Amino acid sequence: MPLNDTVPEPLDVLVQLQDVDTLLRELRDPEMVSQEEKLGFAVTSLASLERTRDRLASQVEGRLLQTYERMSRRFHRVIVPVEGRVCTGCRISLPTSAGRRNSEGATYELCENCGRILYRG
Amino acid sequence: MIPATLSPSREAPLLRQHLRAALFIPELRSRRKSSALEEMVEAVASAGVTRHPEALLDAVRRREAMGSTGLGKGVAVPHARSTVVTERAVLVARSTKGVDFSAPDGLPAHLCFLIVAPPLDRDPLYLTLLAEIVRSVRLAKTRQRLLDAPDFAAVQRHLVEAAHAPE
Repeated sequence: MPLNDTVPEPLDVLVQLQDVDTLLRELRDPEMVSQEEKLGFAVTSLASLERTRDRLASQVEGRLLQTYERMSRRFHRVIVPVEGRVCTGCRISLPTSAGRRNSEGATYELCENCGRILYRG
Repeated sequence: MIPATLSPSREAPLLRQHLRAALFIPELRSRRKSSALEEMVEAVASAGVTRHPEALLDAVRRREAMGSTGLGKGVAVPHARSTVVTERAVLVARSTKGVDFSAPDGLPAHLCFLIVAPPLDRDPLYLTLLAEIVRSVRLAKTRQRLLDAPDFAAVQRHLVEAAHAPE
Protein backbone atom coordinates (compact mmCIF):
# COMPACT_ATOMS: atom_id res chain seq x y z
CA MET A 1 0.00 0.00 0.00
CA PRO A 2 1.49 3.37 -0.95
CA LEU A 3 1.31 4.99 2.47
CA ASN A 4 3.76 7.70 1.62
CA ASP A 5 3.99 11.47 1.80
CA THR A 6 4.52 11.31 5.55
CA VAL A 7 4.91 14.37 7.73
CA PRO A 8 8.61 15.24 7.76
CA GLU A 9 10.78 14.51 10.78
CA PRO A 10 10.71 15.50 13.59
CA LEU A 11 7.06 16.46 13.39
CA ASP A 12 5.74 13.01 12.46
CA VAL A 13 6.26 11.73 16.00
CA LEU A 14 4.75 14.91 17.39
CA VAL A 15 1.67 14.45 15.19
CA GLN A 16 1.29 10.94 16.60
CA LEU A 17 1.77 12.28 20.12
CA GLN A 18 -0.97 14.86 19.60
CA ASP A 19 -3.30 12.22 18.16
CA VAL A 20 -2.70 10.04 21.23
CA ASP A 21 -3.37 13.05 23.48
CA THR A 22 -6.61 13.72 21.58
CA LEU A 23 -7.73 10.13 22.10
CA LEU A 24 -6.70 10.15 25.77
CA ARG A 25 -8.65 13.37 26.31
CA GLU A 26 -11.74 11.83 24.72
CA LEU A 27 -11.49 8.61 26.68
CA ARG A 28 -10.93 10.45 29.97
CA ASP A 29 -14.02 12.56 29.35
CA PRO A 30 -16.89 10.80 31.17
CA GLU A 31 -19.50 12.47 28.97
CA MET A 32 -17.77 11.41 25.76
CA VAL A 33 -17.23 7.85 26.99
CA SER A 34 -20.84 7.66 28.13
CA GLN A 35 -22.09 8.74 24.70
CA GLU A 36 -19.81 6.29 22.90
CA GLU A 37 -20.94 3.45 25.18
CA LYS A 38 -24.57 4.45 24.64
CA LEU A 39 -23.97 4.06 20.91
CA GLY A 40 -22.57 0.58 21.49
CA PHE A 41 -18.81 1.18 21.45
CA ALA A 42 -16.69 -0.52 24.07
CA VAL A 43 -13.80 1.27 25.73
CA THR A 44 -11.19 -0.65 27.68
CA SER A 45 -8.26 0.32 29.90
CA LEU A 46 -6.18 3.33 28.94
CA ALA A 47 -2.96 1.87 30.34
CA SER A 48 -1.54 0.76 27.00
CA LEU A 49 -2.40 4.10 25.42
CA GLU A 50 -0.63 5.91 28.24
CA ARG A 51 2.45 3.73 27.63
CA THR A 52 2.29 4.60 23.94
CA ARG A 53 2.20 8.27 24.88
CA ASP A 54 5.31 7.88 27.06
CA ARG A 55 7.13 6.05 24.26
CA LEU A 56 6.31 8.70 21.67
CA ALA A 57 7.22 11.56 24.01
CA SER A 58 10.62 9.97 24.59
CA GLN A 59 11.27 10.10 20.84
CA VAL A 60 10.67 13.84 20.50
CA GLU A 61 13.67 16.14 20.72
CA GLY A 62 13.80 17.83 24.13
CA ARG A 63 13.22 21.43 23.19
CA LEU A 64 10.44 20.62 20.75
CA LEU A 65 8.74 18.43 23.38
CA GLN A 66 9.02 21.25 25.93
CA THR A 67 7.35 23.62 23.49
CA TYR A 68 4.60 21.09 22.81
CA GLU A 69 3.95 20.35 26.49
CA ARG A 70 3.93 24.04 27.41
CA MET A 71 1.57 24.96 24.57
CA SER A 72 -0.72 22.00 25.26
CA ARG A 73 -1.67 23.66 28.54
CA ARG A 74 -3.19 26.46 26.42
CA PHE A 75 -4.43 24.60 23.37
CA HIS A 76 -5.71 21.12 22.64
CA ARG A 77 -4.25 21.42 19.16
CA VAL A 78 -0.65 22.48 19.41
CA ILE A 79 0.60 21.19 16.09
CA VAL A 80 -1.56 22.38 13.21
CA PRO A 81 -1.37 22.32 9.44
CA VAL A 82 -0.77 25.42 7.36
CA GLU A 83 -3.33 26.02 4.62
CA GLY A 84 -1.91 28.36 2.04
CA ARG A 85 -0.26 30.88 4.33
CA VAL A 86 -2.80 30.59 7.13
CA CYS A 87 -2.23 28.99 10.53
CA THR A 88 -5.27 26.72 11.00
CA GLY A 89 -4.98 27.12 14.75
CA CYS A 90 -5.66 30.86 14.96
CA ARG A 91 -6.61 31.57 11.31
CA ILE A 92 -4.03 34.34 11.09
CA SER A 93 -2.09 34.79 7.88
CA LEU A 94 1.54 34.01 8.38
CA PRO A 95 4.52 35.19 8.09
CA THR A 96 5.93 32.67 10.45
CA SER A 97 9.21 32.83 12.25
CA ALA A 98 12.13 31.44 10.33
CA GLY A 99 12.22 27.69 10.92
CA ARG A 100 13.79 26.69 14.19
CA ARG A 101 16.51 24.13 14.05
CA ASN A 102 16.54 21.18 16.42
CA SER A 103 19.59 19.23 17.47
CA GLU A 104 19.32 16.91 14.49
CA GLY A 105 19.15 19.72 12.03
CA ALA A 106 15.50 19.34 11.06
CA THR A 107 13.38 22.45 11.13
CA TYR A 108 9.96 23.35 12.37
CA GLU A 109 8.06 26.59 12.47
CA LEU A 110 6.00 28.39 15.07
CA CYS A 111 3.06 30.67 14.34
CA GLU A 112 4.11 34.18 15.27
CA ASN A 113 0.60 34.98 16.47
CA CYS A 114 -0.46 32.00 18.61
CA GLY A 115 2.82 30.13 18.98
CA ARG A 116 1.46 26.82 17.69
CA ILE A 117 3.79 24.42 15.90
CA LEU A 118 3.12 24.42 12.17
CA TYR A 119 3.46 21.72 9.61
CA ARG A 120 2.85 21.84 5.90
CA GLY A 121 -0.33 19.73 5.53
CA MET B 1 -24.48 -4.04 20.16
CA ILE B 2 -26.55 -1.64 18.12
CA PRO B 3 -28.90 0.09 20.58
CA ALA B 4 -32.59 -0.62 19.94
CA THR B 5 -33.61 3.02 20.19
CA LEU B 6 -31.84 6.24 19.43
CA SER B 7 -33.44 9.63 19.23
CA PRO B 8 -33.84 10.81 15.65
CA SER B 9 -31.95 13.95 14.75
CA ARG B 10 -34.13 16.98 14.16
CA GLU B 11 -31.22 18.84 12.65
CA ALA B 12 -30.20 19.08 9.02
CA PRO B 13 -29.16 15.64 7.77
CA LEU B 14 -25.53 15.66 8.75
CA LEU B 15 -24.88 12.22 7.33
CA ARG B 16 -26.06 13.26 3.86
CA GLN B 17 -23.54 16.11 3.84
CA HIS B 18 -20.72 13.67 4.45
CA LEU B 19 -21.57 10.93 1.95
CA ARG B 20 -19.53 11.10 -1.25
CA ALA B 21 -19.17 8.69 -4.15
CA ALA B 22 -15.39 8.91 -3.82
CA LEU B 23 -15.76 7.57 -0.28
CA PHE B 24 -17.54 4.35 -1.18
CA ILE B 25 -15.93 0.92 -1.49
CA PRO B 26 -18.53 -1.45 -2.99
CA GLU B 27 -16.53 -4.54 -2.03
CA LEU B 28 -13.54 -4.65 0.29
CA ARG B 29 -10.69 -6.81 -0.93
CA SER B 30 -9.49 -7.55 2.60
CA ARG B 31 -11.08 -9.88 5.09
CA ARG B 32 -8.72 -9.16 7.99
CA LYS B 33 -9.50 -6.11 10.10
CA SER B 34 -5.99 -4.70 9.92
CA SER B 35 -5.78 -4.77 6.12
CA ALA B 36 -9.42 -3.68 5.73
CA LEU B 37 -8.66 -0.58 7.79
CA GLU B 38 -5.62 0.03 5.61
CA GLU B 39 -7.76 -0.26 2.48
CA MET B 40 -10.32 2.17 3.86
CA VAL B 41 -7.70 4.71 4.91
CA GLU B 42 -6.09 4.45 1.50
CA ALA B 43 -9.45 5.34 -0.10
CA VAL B 44 -9.88 8.27 2.28
CA ALA B 45 -6.45 9.53 1.27
CA SER B 46 -7.25 9.11 -2.43
CA ALA B 47 -10.32 11.28 -1.88
CA GLY B 48 -8.09 14.06 -0.52
CA VAL B 49 -9.16 13.90 3.12
CA THR B 50 -5.58 13.41 4.26
CA ARG B 51 -2.16 13.60 2.70
CA HIS B 52 -0.69 11.47 5.46
CA PRO B 53 -2.47 8.11 5.42
CA GLU B 54 0.14 6.36 7.52
CA ALA B 55 -0.43 8.73 10.43
CA LEU B 56 -4.20 8.42 10.03
CA LEU B 57 -3.99 4.63 9.97
CA ASP B 58 -2.03 4.76 13.23
CA ALA B 59 -4.80 6.86 14.80
CA VAL B 60 -7.55 4.52 13.59
CA ARG B 61 -5.70 1.45 14.85
CA ARG B 62 -5.02 3.08 18.21
CA ARG B 63 -8.73 3.78 18.67
CA GLU B 64 -9.51 0.23 17.65
CA ALA B 65 -7.06 -1.07 20.25
CA MET B 66 -9.00 0.79 22.95
CA GLY B 67 -12.12 -1.25 22.24
CA SER B 68 -13.49 -2.78 19.11
CA THR B 69 -15.76 -0.64 16.99
CA GLY B 70 -17.60 -3.72 15.76
CA LEU B 71 -21.16 -3.09 16.89
CA GLY B 72 -22.62 -6.46 16.01
CA LYS B 73 -25.32 -7.41 13.48
CA GLY B 74 -22.70 -7.18 10.74
CA VAL B 75 -21.81 -3.52 11.30
CA ALA B 76 -18.54 -1.83 12.27
CA VAL B 77 -17.92 1.88 12.70
CA PRO B 78 -14.18 2.48 13.11
CA HIS B 79 -13.51 6.12 13.89
CA ALA B 80 -10.70 8.44 14.86
CA ARG B 81 -9.77 12.07 15.08
CA SER B 82 -6.35 12.95 13.75
CA THR B 83 -4.18 15.99 13.20
CA VAL B 84 -3.60 14.93 9.61
CA VAL B 85 -7.29 14.95 8.63
CA THR B 86 -8.36 18.10 6.82
CA GLU B 87 -12.14 17.63 7.04
CA ARG B 88 -14.71 15.38 8.67
CA ALA B 89 -15.49 12.45 6.35
CA VAL B 90 -17.40 9.17 6.25
CA LEU B 91 -16.31 6.25 4.13
CA VAL B 92 -18.81 3.45 3.45
CA ALA B 93 -17.45 0.01 2.65
CA ARG B 94 -19.12 -3.33 2.07
CA SER B 95 -17.81 -6.85 2.40
CA THR B 96 -19.80 -9.84 1.19
CA LYS B 97 -17.64 -12.30 3.12
CA GLY B 98 -17.33 -10.05 6.13
CA VAL B 99 -14.48 -8.66 8.22
CA ASP B 100 -13.89 -9.81 11.78
CA PHE B 101 -14.16 -6.71 13.99
CA SER B 102 -14.44 -8.72 17.22
CA ALA B 103 -18.06 -7.68 17.57
CA PRO B 104 -19.89 -8.67 20.76
CA ASP B 105 -22.12 -11.09 18.82
CA GLY B 106 -19.11 -12.63 17.06
CA LEU B 107 -20.48 -11.90 13.60
CA PRO B 108 -18.24 -10.46 10.88
CA ALA B 109 -18.93 -6.94 9.63
CA HIS B 110 -20.49 -6.68 6.19
CA LEU B 111 -21.01 -2.93 6.46
CA CYS B 112 -18.17 -0.70 7.61
CA PHE B 113 -18.34 3.04 8.16
CA LEU B 114 -15.01 4.75 8.72
CA ILE B 115 -15.44 8.17 10.31
CA VAL B 116 -12.45 10.49 10.45
CA ALA B 117 -12.25 14.06 11.66
CA PRO B 118 -9.71 16.68 12.63
CA PRO B 119 -9.15 17.06 16.38
CA LEU B 120 -11.27 20.16 16.83
CA ASP B 121 -11.99 20.89 20.46
CA ARG B 122 -15.30 19.45 21.59
CA ASP B 123 -16.55 18.76 18.07
CA PRO B 124 -20.20 17.88 18.75
CA LEU B 125 -20.87 17.01 15.11
CA TYR B 126 -18.47 14.10 15.33
CA LEU B 127 -20.66 12.33 17.89
CA THR B 128 -23.82 13.36 16.07
CA LEU B 129 -22.48 11.76 12.93
CA LEU B 130 -21.61 8.59 14.84
CA ALA B 131 -25.15 8.53 16.25
CA GLU B 132 -26.76 9.08 12.84
CA ILE B 133 -24.86 6.17 11.35
CA VAL B 134 -25.64 3.84 14.24
CA ARG B 135 -29.28 4.84 14.01
CA SER B 136 -29.42 4.39 10.24
CA VAL B 137 -28.36 0.74 10.38
CA ARG B 138 -30.41 -0.39 13.37
CA LEU B 139 -32.96 -2.23 11.22
CA ALA B 140 -32.20 -5.49 9.45
CA LYS B 141 -34.12 -4.42 6.34
CA THR B 142 -31.96 -1.29 5.98
CA ARG B 143 -28.77 -3.27 6.37
CA GLN B 144 -29.94 -5.68 3.69
CA ARG B 145 -30.88 -2.81 1.37
CA LEU B 146 -27.43 -1.32 1.81
CA LEU B 147 -25.79 -4.64 0.98
CA ASP B 148 -28.02 -5.10 -2.08
CA ALA B 149 -27.75 -1.52 -3.35
CA PRO B 150 -26.43 -1.48 -6.93
CA ASP B 151 -24.50 1.78 -6.62
CA PHE B 152 -23.47 4.61 -4.35
CA ALA B 153 -26.60 6.67 -5.09
CA ALA B 154 -28.80 3.87 -3.77
CA VAL B 155 -26.61 3.41 -0.69
CA GLN B 156 -26.81 7.14 0.00
CA ARG B 157 -30.59 7.17 -0.39
CA HIS B 158 -31.14 4.21 1.94
CA LEU B 159 -28.79 5.59 4.59
CA VAL B 160 -30.30 9.04 4.65
CA GLU B 161 -33.87 7.73 4.69
CA ALA B 162 -33.07 5.38 7.55
CA ALA B 163 -31.21 8.00 9.56
CA HIS B 164 -34.21 10.29 9.56
CA ALA B 165 -37.06 7.83 9.70
CA PRO B 166 -39.34 7.98 12.76
CA GLU B 167 -38.91 5.25 15.37
